[in-house]
Amino acid sequence: MRSMPSLAIDARPAGFGALRSALAAVRLGAGGAMAGWPVLLGRSGFYVLLMIVLTALWDKVTTERLPGTLVAALPAGGLALYIGVTEWIGLSVPAIHLRLEDDIRSGVVETHLLRPKAYLLQRFAESWGAMLVRMAATGAAALVMLVLSGRAWPTPPALAALVVLGPLGGTIGLLLFTIAGLSAFWVRRTVPAFLILQKMLFLLGGLFAPVTLYPAWLTRLAEATPFAAHMFWPASLTITPTAAQMAAALGAQLLWIGLLAGLATLIWRAGLAKVLRGEL
Amino acid sequence: MTRTSLLENYAHGAAAAVRASFADRTNFLLQSLSMVVNNGFMLVLWFMFFAGFRSVGGWRLADMALLIGIIMSIVGVAGIVFGGYRDMAATILSGEIDALLTQPRSVLARLLARDSYPSAWGDLGTAVVILIAFAGLSWRDLPWFAAGWVSGLIVYIAAAVSFASLAFWISGARSLARDMTEWVILVSTYPGSIYSGASKLIAYTLLPAGFVVLTPVRLLRHPSLETLAVVVAAAAVYAAIAAGAFDLGLRRYRQGATPVMGA
Amino acid sequence: MSAVITAQDLRKTYRYASRRGGVLGAIGGAFAPDYKLIEAVDGVSFEIAAGERVAIIGPNGAGKSTTLKMLSGVLEPTSGEASVFGFTPWAQRKALAYRIGVVFGQRSQLWGELPARDSFALLGHIYDQRGAAFDRRLQALIERFELGALMDQPVQRMSLGQRMRCEITASLLHAPSLLFLDEPTIGLDITAKAAIRDFITQNARAEGQTVVLTSHDTRDIELVCDRVIVINRGRIVVDQPTDQLRRRFLAHKLVTLHAPSRSVRIDLPGVTRRPSEPHLAVFEIDTRKVRVEQALAAALDGGGIEDITIEDPPMEEVVREIYAVARD
Repeated sequence: MRSMPSLAIDARPAGFGALRSALAAVRLGAGGAMAGWPVLLGRSGFYVLLMIVLTALWDKVTTERLPGTLVAALPAGGLALYIGVTEWIGLSVPAIHLRLEDDIRSGVVETHLLRPKAYLLQRFAESWGAMLVRMAATGAAALVMLVLSGRAWPTPPALAALVVLGPLGGTIGLLLFTIAGLSAFWVRRTVPAFLILQKMLFLLGGLFAPVTLYPAWLTRLAEATPFAAHMFWPASLTITPTAAQMAAALGAQLLWIGLLAGLATLIWRAGLAKVLRGEL
Repeated sequence: MTRTSLLENYAHGAAAAVRASFADRTNFLLQSLSMVVNNGFMLVLWFMFFAGFRSVGGWRLADMALLIGIIMSIVGVAGIVFGGYRDMAATILSGEIDALLTQPRSVLARLLARDSYPSAWGDLGTAVVILIAFAGLSWRDLPWFAAGWVSGLIVYIAAAVSFASLAFWISGARSLARDMTEWVILVSTYPGSIYSGASKLIAYTLLPAGFVVLTPVRLLRHPSLETLAVVVAAAAVYAAIAAGAFDLGLRRYRQGATPVMGA
Repeated sequence: MSAVITAQDLRKTYRYASRRGGVLGAIGGAFAPDYKLIEAVDGVSFEIAAGERVAIIGPNGAGKSTTLKMLSGVLEPTSGEASVFGFTPWAQRKALAYRIGVVFGQRSQLWGELPARDSFALLGHIYDQRGAAFDRRLQALIERFELGALMDQPVQRMSLGQRMRCEITASLLHAPSLLFLDEPTIGLDITAKAAIRDFITQNARAEGQTVVLTSHDTRDIELVCDRVIVINRGRIVVDQPTDQLRRRFLAHKLVTLHAPSRSVRIDLPGVTRRPSEPHLAVFEIDTRKVRVEQALAAALDGGGIEDITIEDPPMEEVVREIYAVARD
């Protein structure tokens, strides 16, 4: 029996093809974010407000200098720069978990599987593109505030390092929210995962205060988590602008990007297997 | 035919909204409990903060607990009884007030009573615990508390209504109004001592955290007739602004000048 | 018969700021907007007597809803006058509200999560209807419209048709003597539409109510209304009794036959063929001259027909025809 000629299209994106379509998705996401410029403007406004409130808080604490408190552990210039960096990164990460939740719950994810594109990579790349645009917008607002406030700037090497470590930190955040979003395969709603993640970012990620203010054991624990690699490590350059700190930050970030990307892929495959078994 | 009073009518409307929010029990429990956990966590962070720094410009942990208790209970009661404030701009823009305009009642009251949020019960629950356990209040404070709290609630809702009224003019006001209301809450959750200059000006005007929580806290910590007068006047002024803005906007809406979807 | 509604030269002009693209355009637009004026209602006058059932029909965007909103007190006209039960609707909306019932087909006045009964009770309060009299009226409406089984169901779990029955009931709770219905059958399937039409007619007859409804579906008017006002681009093009309009303009049916293998012909008086895609044959049947089933029988005679649809001509066509007649 002569076999039928195969009409199937090879559905696996391979090598450069995958990279090209991921880059296209990055451009798509960036374009979308730029088209929504009123939202960008609104977010920058929110950043400014948040900074006004938070710097007022930390400035008050720093200038008050109550004896016997943790004030001694704070940098002389206060935490304005530190907070500025954590919020810059935090506010720039798109809510990819909601996007994934929508796709998974509505079944849209199944139609995407028909396309010869890696769905998760595409969605991630899109959000990553949007993230870069947001970082540029919020970053501009941050610099304007810095000029207007008359505060001391971060050292030039720290500033240069932030251009790299900031987006890397954002990437880790995006990976964390991706994992939270993939929980929709099992629990339908991602809100619980999101809330847990948010708490971790406050406590261990350094969003609330530099984790170095905690008792030594908690500091060490926090520094070892991906949450710190998301915000604390890049922001710590404003306090300790040394080459060693930059290297440590970069190392922690690259390690976590690798680990989290692997974890997200594994979870995605498990979720996909669930879809293919018809259990969704 | 006897006329029902505005208050009685409002109570019926709000009660219906509350019953509707109970309709899905699991969702109600999930939302209200996760709000309790959420608030509890924020409280723990403040405990840690004051453990480390003791004071912020004279504000101690008990003052912070009082502040958080007041804003949380205000947001809680507002979400339960006046829940329509939260998405009011969206409601206006969707043209849903057409039907309310054909009813013999105040449109604003009907709008405020049309929604109730399960998570608000979580806010109210946490707030009560915080106020009783950590705020350092005694029974003698009750009259001052009542005055300050009611005034804060009025200012908060009035601010939200004023923001939502922007929807009568701007179609993009949906998220703007929500964001600005969220910002009032944000500014209301930090010690009042940190604000000075421009930030103080904003906190006592555009984002009136000053009158929602800070003057009520001052009234409780240093009771005086002067502060009481400020508190009462603030409630009256903000309520008047909100009523005026809404009324003006509604007039514009009825002239067909509001950019309503699907009209 | 005395007039319940009088409208005199009602006009409503909407002003839109036309948008310019991009950031700069939007900023420029905020300072010096370009306005476009749209005459939604362009000088409309009519009187409606007590007990009349009137349909205002016209294509989408003709000004039907705007007219209804001005008469029910929602919108203020740009100019012109109106009186409903002696009230100026937009100036005295609360006083008028007790006398009228309003249903907006695309908006709900019921709580989705709650049983219909709860929403009815709440509306009772809103209209100051209380006690035994209200209970009796609600019971009568429940029986008349057979809502018994629906009363304890959350509204969001009802079908669109069931929901619309509840919406109309809600608007009748305070026994209004005038009912405004804006597109009451929109989105409903044929069976549900028929039920709603019966429902409205039955109630109006039982209570001697005046009914004003808007629709873009020509069939709505036939069953419910004794008078039709056709409106197009903000102006009244025809205002006549329904029978007269039906005889003159609604006497056509469109029959589409799908016959892939042959060309269909119907040689009967009153049947004209319209241009159509290949494989389809579209006939316009003048029902004053020939019955639809006669025409169909003639078409089916040759066999080879795979599908048949019978439709009323779309509203736009009826309006065009009215214009054509008016011009002659």
